[in-house]
Amino acid sequence: MLGVIDACFIIDWCRYRYRGLLEKFFSTLFVHEETLEQLKSERSITYISELLAKGILRLYPWSHREEDEFLKLRSEIASNSRIPSLERPDILCLIMAKNLNATLLSENVGIHRVVEFHKEYGNVIVWTALETLENLVYKGLLNISSTNEFLRYVKEYEYDTGHIFKSSRLENSLRRLKSWLEK
Amino acid sequence: MLANDDIKRWAREDEEARRIRREKANWDFIEKQPPKIKAALKYFIERGDRYVAAKIAGLSLDEFDEIRLKANIPVVI
Repeated sequence: MLGVIDACFIIDWCRYRYRGLLEKFFSTLFVHEETLEQLKSERSITYISELLAKGILRLYPWSHREEDEFLKLRSEIASNSRIPSLERPDILCLIMAKNLNATLLSENVGIHRVVEFHKEYGNVIVWTALETLENLVYKGLLNISSTNEFLRYVKEYEYDTGHIFKSSRLENSLRRLKSWLEK
Repeated sequence: MLANDDIKRWAREDEEARRIRREKANWDFIEKQPPKIKAALKYFIERGDRYVAAKIAGLSLDEFDEIRLKANIPVVI
């Protein structure tokens, strides 16, 4: 499975006690060089360097055609005041995920909203850490026998990273997991 | 095109996230910070936007995130 990872996700995920699970889930993760430039702390640089050294993470070969795509998308986003500001590297990640047919790992509210309203990007799958944890369960990398056990993993992630998942997002995840556990 | 329902839902989500950030924040810590950091943390509480907050603080994203954690302001997603 292919993934694209943005800066906020890296910054958050590298604090998580079970961060090593990500490399067991994805065959390849792509990162844009401009995403790497956003990282300055020892913790995030160490994490990303390890992924690069293992060959799990690869630099994405950005093209001129994709640069045109970026300019078009940027102007469409700028005209929507409900979308929080998006840095250029995060828009690049969305374009990469679309063109690779890969799952985008992003904690950026703006990116999630673009996918909600934009026809061309509506098919891009974007996961926060919550959906990532959920999919680790489906793949057998996190073992649970009840949704309460899953909630324990969620609480650990929230504690490690200073996150709180919105109630609606958590309810949706728990509903899907409950259905999966009953099969 | 965005439907009115979507815009209203987004506004509700933004308000819920803002309320959580305000409630959880360590205001004593925030008030003791230098002006740029304090302004950045307060902006983050209101808007939840790490990118702009980091720019206000004059820090990189992950440097700002370390201070966000110390201020106990959650990322609500």
